[in-house]
Amino acid sequence: MYGVQLDQLAAVLGVGESRARAVTASWRRARYAESARLGPGGPWIWLTRAGMAACGLPFPATTPALSRLAHLRAVAAVRLALEATSGYRAAGAFWRSERRLRVRVGGRVGLREHIPDGEVHWPDGTQAGWAGECWAVEAELTRKTVARTATIMREILSRTGDYGCPAAQVRVPGQPPRHARALYLCSPAARTVVARARNTIGALGARVEIRDLPPGADLPPPGLPRAGLSRAGLPRAGPSGPQP
Amino acid sequence: MSRRGRGRRPVLAAGRLLGLAIAGAAGAALVVAAAPVSLVAAAAVTMAWAGGWPPRRLYRAALWCLPMVAVWVVATAAAAQSWWQVAAAPYRAWLAMWHLAAAGSVLPAAVTIAPVAVPLGLLVGALAWSRRILAMQTGTGGLTPRAPAAFDRRQWRHQVRSARARIAAPGAVPLLSRNGAIVAGAVIRAAGHASSPLAAIPYRRLRSHQVVIGTTGTGKTTLLLRLWAGFLARGLQRHAAGAGYRPLLVVLDCKGGADSRRVGDRARRVLREAGARSTAIWPDEASLSLWELPPRQLTTTLVDMIEHGSGGAAYYADVMEAVVALAVDAPGGPPASAADFLSRLDAGWLAAAYAGSPDGQHTALLRPAAAHVSDVALRFRTLFRRLGEGLDGPGGFGDADAWYCILEGTSEIAVAEAQARALVDILASYAAQGQGSQREILLAVDEFSAVSRRLPIWQLYERARSLGLALQVSAQSWQGLAPHDDDRYRIAATADGGIWLLRTPNPEPAAGLAGRRPAADTSRRVLGAALWGHQGSSRMRDELVADPAIIRSLDTGQAAYIYRGGVTFVQVKRLVAAPAALAHEPAAPGKPVGRTAVTRPAAGAPGGEPRPVPPPDAGSLLDEAFGSETS
Repeated sequence: MYGVQLDQLAAVLGVGESRARAVTASWRRARYAESARLGPGGPWIWLTRAGMAACGLPFPATTPALSRLAHLRAVAAVRLALEATSGYRAAGAFWRSERRLRVRVGGRVGLREHIPDGEVHWPDGTQAGWAGECWAVEAELTRKTVARTATIMREILSRTGDYGCPAAQVRVPGQPPRHARALYLCSPAARTVVARARNTIGALGARVEIRDLPPGADLPPPGLPRAGLSRAGLPRAGPSGPQP
Repeated sequence: MSRRGRGRRPVLAAGRLLGLAIAGAAGAALVVAAAPVSLVAAAAVTMAWAGGWPPRRLYRAALWCLPMVAVWVVATAAAAQSWWQVAAAPYRAWLAMWHLAAAGSVLPAAVTIAPVAVPLGLLVGALAWSRRILAMQTGTGGLTPRAPAAFDRRQWRHQVRSARARIAAPGAVPLLSRNGAIVAGAVIRAAGHASSPLAAIPYRRLRSHQVVIGTTGTGKTTLLLRLWAGFLARGLQRHAAGAGYRPLLVVLDCKGGADSRRVGDRARRVLREAGARSTAIWPDEASLSLWELPPRQLTTTLVDMIEHGSGGAAYYADVMEAVVALAVDAPGGPPASAADFLSRLDAGWLAAAYAGSPDGQHTALLRPAAAHVSDVALRFRTLFRRLGEGLDGPGGFGDADAWYCILEGTSEIAVAEAQARALVDILASYAAQGQGSQREILLAVDEFSAVSRRLPIWQLYERARSLGLALQVSAQSWQGLAPHDDDRYRIAATADGGIWLLRTPNPEPAAGLAGRRPAADTSRRVLGAALWGHQGSSRMRDELVADPAIIRSLDTGQAAYIYRGGVTFVQVKRLVAAPAALAHEPAAPGKPVGRTAVTRPAAGAPGGEPRPVPPPDAGSLLDEAFGSETS
């Protein structure tokens, strides 16, 4: 993730917002993180270059883009909701963020390559029926056209290669698809379009799951105080917190 | 000469020698008496000589000492009881220095005299160094007439060493300076330009036309990558600040082959570091749509992409244009793809399409052309097969921050010429539209003369000017700029963003554009074998500002930047790109890789749908995380 809002950080750490604020202050003192009030709701926290180095992450340290705050919050909420499930913890699944995918791709995101908002990898050898699968996760806040959404769905579901692989391996006929399913988490506004797009892609549509965005995924309207996320059921993160 | 005069000659000679000895002794005494100043001056001259510094740098250093002098004067005034004591402070410091030195306290002695000796020594050193350089430039210095040339060569080596050390220092050469200029590297030497440690090019010059000339292996790609990265980085900064439109870089690499692909990959990684969101490599990984051109332009472009003969073949060119116009302007809109266009090149289809047209002109045009439609279709079918899918969409220049277009100008010249023509037309159309007019576009063309038969480069220049595009033309030699000398001079003379010259065997034509400057030419009297006196005469002559001999002998990574009658020699700083993305899995043996193996997912194609069976139900997990699915 590129950055996280204070209430989501508190949920990750399993503490209250005041304690999360203190933790953030200590990170700031160590120059590992920066925080600022970038938009509605609580302050945003993101890693500095030193923080990235301390966590061993190869990403460039950047301030979360203002135009993407709503999307970043939604994706973080989806990730937290998934990680809070018992099935996720039992399977030892892991989240591969859009940021990590983009680093693999480099600057090659061109015309056709759509990067999902995240991937969930389910390790083999667990009891889950979907063990060994890789899911693509898309958080849809705004309505695209049906055609555009359907194109993205097809691209995600027909891809065979990892992100950053040679162009010749992106889609190899006969190879199993990279994403066993695509999970769409939609706002009420986008849900209809996504559902219609799923209906247009034929048999591939069976591999598309559509759900509502979890509570707390939206940015509060400007001027309104935001209630903190519920901590119930959320796992307590390790010392380094979630991987971006 | 009289006998009396001959008798006085030894006396005069002895007197002259005595005078010289007295002057030397007095000078030595002065040097010793002002030992601190002498030491600083000697050190300054030595450092300037070893580093190849211009005298201005020493003058500037002396100026930077003024705050120290001011503090010392204020401190002295505060402790003194009269202004006389303040005026005598340098003398007292000098006396104190000698006393301390005599007592063996060297460090306190140096500290005591430093506020006076350092600025004064730097000033004396700067004057001496200026005098030395002037003597060498005018040919009056040194023991032999060759000495000035040797001095210049030595100074060049020292200046190169300093510039290399500067670019090797981490963080010493950023991509952008504080005022937003693009830093190309460290300055080796400047003539006619203000001398500064770093060679910084204002962004507006990259928004003008530039010319880059350099043979293979001279660092031309390194220089171009730096300029492109700087253009994008600064343009994005300006865009973020609301001071300009979003930048767009379009590179036409007209060589092709594996080398171009390596450069393209490097460019993508470098531009990514500079802030470009996406870099499209055409035609390997991205495509453009020729069919989004306005119908009239599409007709012209399609016709120009086909090679025509002259003389009697002009008739067939006219027939082809008529048929293409009929196919493009058919009722129902222009074609959306190559397949759509080819399907229209059929006499029956055209007749059916225009059957309901109230205008009889089209039908009249179709009747004589009908016999040639199949021939025209054959030619376009052949052309599109050779062109591949790169121009068949989807996509447009607005989809990426940078486009690296590879044209096979070496191996498939006819195809590359057609591609160049189409790409320029698509870009011109994009730049003229509403969306494209809100981009700051830099079009960089490398070895364009190899593919410029269908589109003369001067025409490209004129179009770029009219559309507000900045054009950067690069070539391996002066002759590679354009086929004719007039065109070459036209391109170089209108490069108002400057000319970059790397090592090239024939730099004179481009170097001459920097102009000439007056220089002193001094002759010296020969006294005997290998002995020259200091008597002679000087005259003024004009010499080239940009010395072609230096340009001809530039090392890899060195460039001469010619702009407004001056030249700056630059040691270009190489941009280090992030490592290339590694393949997750090795390519299967026997599978073709590279350009021929690039897969192009067609929009709407289900991509094989390798798993028709629905995956296992994960509803319980999703219900727990997000609630149940609602219809």
